[in-house]
Amino acid sequence: MSVITRRTFLDGAAKGGLALGAGSLIAACGSSSSSSSPGTTASSSTTGATGTPKHGGTLTAGLTGGSSSDTLDPNSPVNNTDYARVANLYESLVWLNAAGTPVYRLAKEMTPNSNATEWTIRLRDGVTFHNGKPLTADDLIFSIHRVLNPKAPGEAASALAGIKAGEIKKLDKLTIRVPFSHSYSTFIETLAANITVYLVPVGFDPKMPVGTGPFKYKSFTPGQQSVFDRNENYWNSPLPYVDSLVMTNFEDETSQVNALLSGQVDVVNLLSQDTINTVTGSGKKVVISPGGGWNPFTMRVDQAPFNDVRVRQAFRLLVDRPKMNDVVFGGHGTLGNDVFSIWSTEYDHSLPQREQDIEQAKHLLKAAGQADATFQLTTADIAQGVVNMAQVFAQQASAAGVKVKLNQVTVTDFYGPNYLKWVFAQDYWYYQAYLAQVSQATLPKSPYNETHWNDPHYTALYQQALAQNDSAKRDEIAHEMQKIDYDQGGYIIPFFPPVIDGYSPKVGGIIQSKVGSSFNDWNFEAMYKMA
Amino acid sequence: MSTSADVSALGIRRTQMRQAAGSFAKRHPIIQLVVVRVALGVLTLFAVSIVIFAATQALPGNAAYAVLGHGATPQRIHALELRLHLNRSLLSQYGSWMGGVLKGNFGTSLANNESVSGLIGGRIENSAVLVFAAGIIGSLLAGLLGLAAASRRDGWFDHIASVIALVITAMPEFNVAIALVILLAVNVAHLLPAVSTIPPGTHAWDNLKLLILPVATLAIVIAPYIFRMVRAAMIEALESDYVEMARLKGVSNRRILLVHALPNALPPIIQVVGLNLLYLAGGIVVVEYVFNYPGVGAALVDAVSNRDIPTLQFIVLVLTAFYVLVNILSDVIALMATPRRRAPR
Repeated sequence: MSVITRRTFLDGAAKGGLALGAGSLIAACGSSSSSSSPGTTASSSTTGATGTPKHGGTLTAGLTGGSSSDTLDPNSPVNNTDYARVANLYESLVWLNAAGTPVYRLAKEMTPNSNATEWTIRLRDGVTFHNGKPLTADDLIFSIHRVLNPKAPGEAASALAGIKAGEIKKLDKLTIRVPFSHSYSTFIETLAANITVYLVPVGFDPKMPVGTGPFKYKSFTPGQQSVFDRNENYWNSPLPYVDSLVMTNFEDETSQVNALLSGQVDVVNLLSQDTINTVTGSGKKVVISPGGGWNPFTMRVDQAPFNDVRVRQAFRLLVDRPKMNDVVFGGHGTLGNDVFSIWSTEYDHSLPQREQDIEQAKHLLKAAGQADATFQLTTADIAQGVVNMAQVFAQQASAAGVKVKLNQVTVTDFYGPNYLKWVFAQDYWYYQAYLAQVSQATLPKSPYNETHWNDPHYTALYQQALAQNDSAKRDEIAHEMQKIDYDQGGYIIPFFPPVIDGYSPKVGGIIQSKVGSSFNDWNFEAMYKMA
Repeated sequence: MSTSADVSALGIRRTQMRQAAGSFAKRHPIIQLVVVRVALGVLTLFAVSIVIFAATQALPGNAAYAVLGHGATPQRIHALELRLHLNRSLLSQYGSWMGGVLKGNFGTSLANNESVSGLIGGRIENSAVLVFAAGIIGSLLAGLLGLAAASRRDGWFDHIASVIALVITAMPEFNVAIALVILLAVNVAHLLPAVSTIPPGTHAWDNLKLLILPVATLAIVIAPYIFRMVRAAMIEALESDYVEMARLKGVSNRRILLVHALPNALPPIIQVVGLNLLYLAGGIVVVEYVFNYPGVGAALVDAVSNRDIPTLQFIVLVLTAFYVLVNILSDVIALMATPRRRAPR
């Protein structure tokens, strides 16, 4: 069968059958001074179950999403197709391999000082940009400054906010030292996430999108299509395999799947579980990945009724998680426990699995004086399955006698002036390590603190973790924080949704991945065409 | 003295001019119609641009929120609003846009900082190809079938064709499109491409194979209306006294149909063809969606959700201009096909 389930995937991974992270795992190596362990190659994912990889041919991808605001600027990818293009033109210092572990990519080594207030970054030698210019420390400094530019801050600006931009020092041709205004032991994990710093040459202009990535720019029409050519001088040879990569936007899943079935595209991404049978029944394949991305329900802890922890806990107990997973994702998701970053080494698997408990939920709501209240849940079609999750939630709540009214808005309205202000809504996140995720979501200063979480003890724990270079000690602190998330947090995380991608059997090099975005984070360089 | 003489002379000249104009209009009713309608059309375009601008202001959020989406932090919103000049007053935003339009510059897209006409031009061409190809093919097909049905009224062909036309009228174009994809592209036969993604940089007519299914869908959707009108108008003409006269004189059936009846049946047919062209301009949105065809439909939806006002204005103005033009043209052609209304009175 072409469908690989999560179970077989995990078995395979355990037996070493899948090439998860052939590159050295930065964070998992050793318990102390983990971050300074040497990393090697970033290629992690080229074990196709079928045949040996070969060069040549054109790979056509039908990708969901995109609009006329599509961009090639590595500073501001917004939708799926943006991320796909950016991840193939440019590269970051580190990235997540298929197991969700950070590995070096353009960095040769990243070393913190004793309290992680200063990081020394050495670049990989012998890397050239698409225009032939060698990658140097100056380019790295330029790229960091470009993200931090106050006139056009990049998406990663908040993750780099602690950098003392004026004091970055070039040590030699390939090495820089970056001082921070505070300890930042999780710098590597943060940069490895989806929101990152892509390296561009000094003087970069998005109209001439030059990077070091496996593919180089040929043409791009926003909202329609991009054509990239193989980077013949890619440092990580023999990758990439195909000569040309064509990515076409699709608005509608039906036409996306039709294009795959009629052979007009080789791969399609982010399918719903309803189309799995259509695809496999027509001789095509699907890969179902146990993604670490998450689609939470977000409850604002500073607003009634969710400022009462009993209401939040009651709502968490209302959810029949396995049922919701079955209905929305055919059971392919991984059950969640209201704590994010399930594949992170920092994740505490010892917390008991939360299950539906209607009696307790009703008891808590009654105690909070909310037994007869009507709750409004704002939802929008922001990611695969999100609206369905809201519908199932409303049904499960009403079956328990709790009235939840859906307020479905357009995606643009959702991200309009009320974004991050909705009292009870939803969101989607790609996977990142726990503490890196905390910096984005659950600190008073987090850019996307949608639950308005502001717990001084929690924040203090985070600060301690940042000063801690010993990853085992960081894990301990992270577990303590997760206990707080679990007992009081503003998120409901019923499960971690699967990533379902479809492909033609003529394409090799497609693997499962935990990173939560399609094709092992748009890893088209590992794909090859079979004759 | 001299002033009053001037005034009276002016008055006489004015009356003369009015009479001259009046008699010109009487002698050239078509030109008069075109002049008046074009002037009204320009006024319509202006009014539409104000309505659209006002309507976009009623939508929550702006282009900065829409473009940044999931990554919309207050800092990034603020920076982008400054870059897009969204902090200026409404009047000044509209004024500078209108000033550009009068110079032939339709502005810069708020979504990606490229010129609107460059961004949308290719899509308008793609949609126009679809509309006209479907309009011509659908009209010809429907016309022939309508003639055949009318010439053998209440025969088996007339009945079958009428029933099929009725069935298709009841089907939304979405169903027609999906049915064609299932039949010809994906499930039953693998003859044609299922999606029609015209590669950017090429013209729609360079990709004939990709055009077949969307054009066929639209042609099938409009054909029944035209068929029914052709049939009805022809039947009416065939029942007229002059056709009976021609028959009595022994004129051949074919000549009666094409030379005597058809020209007299034309005006209502032209009107219904015009109406269907207008319908297509809106109906292509669904078909473009199903076939992932890069036309104005998706661009319009994008422009609304991106709050990209210059792009939205441009597309709406082009569509409005198309409506105005098709209306004028179908009236002019109908007038030309009606000699008795065209003659000076």
